[in-house]
Amino acid sequence: MKSLELVNIRKEYGDAVAVDDMNMTIRKGELVSLLGPSGCGKTTTLRMVAGFVAPSAGSVLIDGRDVTHRPPYERNTALVFQSYALFPHMSVAQNVAFGLEMRRMPRAEREAKSLEALRRVRLDHLAERYPRQLSGGQQQRVALARGLVLNPDVFLLDEPLSNLDAKLRAEVRSEIRGLQQALELTTLMVTHDQEEALTMSDGLVLMAGGRVRQSGSAQDLYERPADAFVADFVGRSNVLEGRVEGGSFRMKDGTALPGTAVPTARYYTLRPEKIALTSPDQGVPGTLREVLYLGAQTEYTVLLGTTPVTVIRATPGPDDTLARLRPGDPVGLRWNSADARLLDS
Amino acid sequence: MAKLVLPAGLLVLALLGVPMLLMLRYSFNSFDPLYLMKEAFTFGNYARAVVDPYYQKILLTTVAVALASTLLTTLLAYGPAYWLARMEGRWKSKLTILTMFPLLVGGVVRSAGYMALLSSDGLINATLRGLGLITVPLQLLYTPGAVVFATVGIVLPYMILTLASVIESIPRQVEDAAANLGARPGTAFIRVLMPLSLPGVLAGSTLVFILCMNAYATPLLLGGPQFQMMAPAVYDQFARASNWPFGAALAFLLLVVTVALTTLGSSVIARRYKAG
Repeated sequence: MKSLELVNIRKEYGDAVAVDDMNMTIRKGELVSLLGPSGCGKTTTLRMVAGFVAPSAGSVLIDGRDVTHRPPYERNTALVFQSYALFPHMSVAQNVAFGLEMRRMPRAEREAKSLEALRRVRLDHLAERYPRQLSGGQQQRVALARGLVLNPDVFLLDEPLSNLDAKLRAEVRSEIRGLQQALELTTLMVTHDQEEALTMSDGLVLMAGGRVRQSGSAQDLYERPADAFVADFVGRSNVLEGRVEGGSFRMKDGTALPGTAVPTARYYTLRPEKIALTSPDQGVPGTLREVLYLGAQTEYTVLLGTTPVTVIRATPGPDDTLARLRPGDPVGLRWNSADARLLDS
Repeated sequence: MAKLVLPAGLLVLALLGVPMLLMLRYSFNSFDPLYLMKEAFTFGNYARAVVDPYYQKILLTTVAVALASTLLTTLLAYGPAYWLARMEGRWKSKLTILTMFPLLVGGVVRSAGYMALLSSDGLINATLRGLGLITVPLQLLYTPGAVVFATVGIVLPYMILTLASVIESIPRQVEDAAANLGARPGTAFIRVLMPLSLPGVLAGSTLVFILCMNAYATPLLLGGPQFQMMAPAVYDQFARASNWPFGAALAFLLLVVTVALTTLGSSVIARRYKAG
């Protein structure tokens, strides 16, 4: 297994900057997710690693070797396409063996290896089928097998779960992660789905507007977001705008929030599940506006002054006072001021 | 729906089928220099068309020119078709229209254009002479090569458009996947793009082959008086010799050979790719 390093990578299309001075390292055997809204430059980055897009500046290093100017077919990367991109005129076995054939492996050997790779994704019994005869999930697994049979230096996944239905997604998610860890594949995954990124990765890189906004572990991004954008994008967050006056944070509508504040802070961010709902005489008083029953959890929207704040709690039992709350009732919000993050931008 | 389809279908049948059947019937009649066509039922016209070395040679020339033109057209069209299919943005529709543009001008006019290009004081010879590369004009016009050249030029748009529409339906990611798996451009073409675009190649070359087999103006104008192909020969029988039965027999011979060769060609190519 090899490491992957992007050094000051930049990509311009005319006047538009798709990727701006990006740096990132994936250690051997790690899975790093490139996360961000559509158009943030994550797919362009992936395509630069695969060699389909030439960077305007910067370099791509695989195991310390500069491959920036190598064509795709001379890089030992394996890309699993969002659309799977299986060869429709080849059988499953031929699809999986294609890369080995390009590497001039003798027929007997490549047939054995392909079958082994198919066994890993539990599709060896469908080796003679054609892609069109398979379900979406099975095609996805063929695409995975076609990549991992090559024992690639870098495994690239482009939105691997986006074409699967919700139930299958969880299954394939753990399957991919299992394979990646078992084979110790250095993997770069592109996704816009934060849940996918949080659950599957060793590290995350959050991109927006062609730039890296924050990188780190899932906990880093969730617990310690660098800015309001990260706080809002990763998980759900109440991002309350305002400024610091007389040592405390005051929202735009004038409501003061507890906790000592950095003088420069402009955003007060708070995770919905960190807030407790109490009676109005305890905590910050507000008015309940909406109650959304989500099954295991219930989501409450509370107006603090004129600002809506989302609170998520475990759904209360029938005897709980919370169960009697109706929109319009006065409530109090309480939270540990350590759970609040005050951010400058 | 059926009420509308039925009369339309009958009309098409009448317009296409009846003349064909009439012609088929004529081809079994006999010819009399005095009375022209006489009611009969004879295979004599077909026998003559097949046995007479003069017509054998015409048929052979026709098949050879059509095959050469089809092959050359396919080779020449693939690159532009690929380029057009993979192009994006506003240039794509403009270039597609530009490709169709020659079809607005009839084959006769375009053949005349090729005459102007190839004749002894035409553009090519004049240019070469102007550059001092030759002193005596090259004999370009009235050669089999000129016929193939002009035929290719005339049928090229059909081939490009047919191929482009099929290549467009092949996802680009499939090509990317081949490159990602280690296939060099040439290998990716032979192993992935070519087999996937085969339906387009078959459709295009069938269409073009039929057009070439039935070419009339091009062989007449660019081949010169000594050069003979089937369509002009059929015309000669009808218009000059007034031998309708023999003309009809030649026409059906041309039809049968065209159908047989296109069927054979398609199945051979399709089978070869299935096996490989």
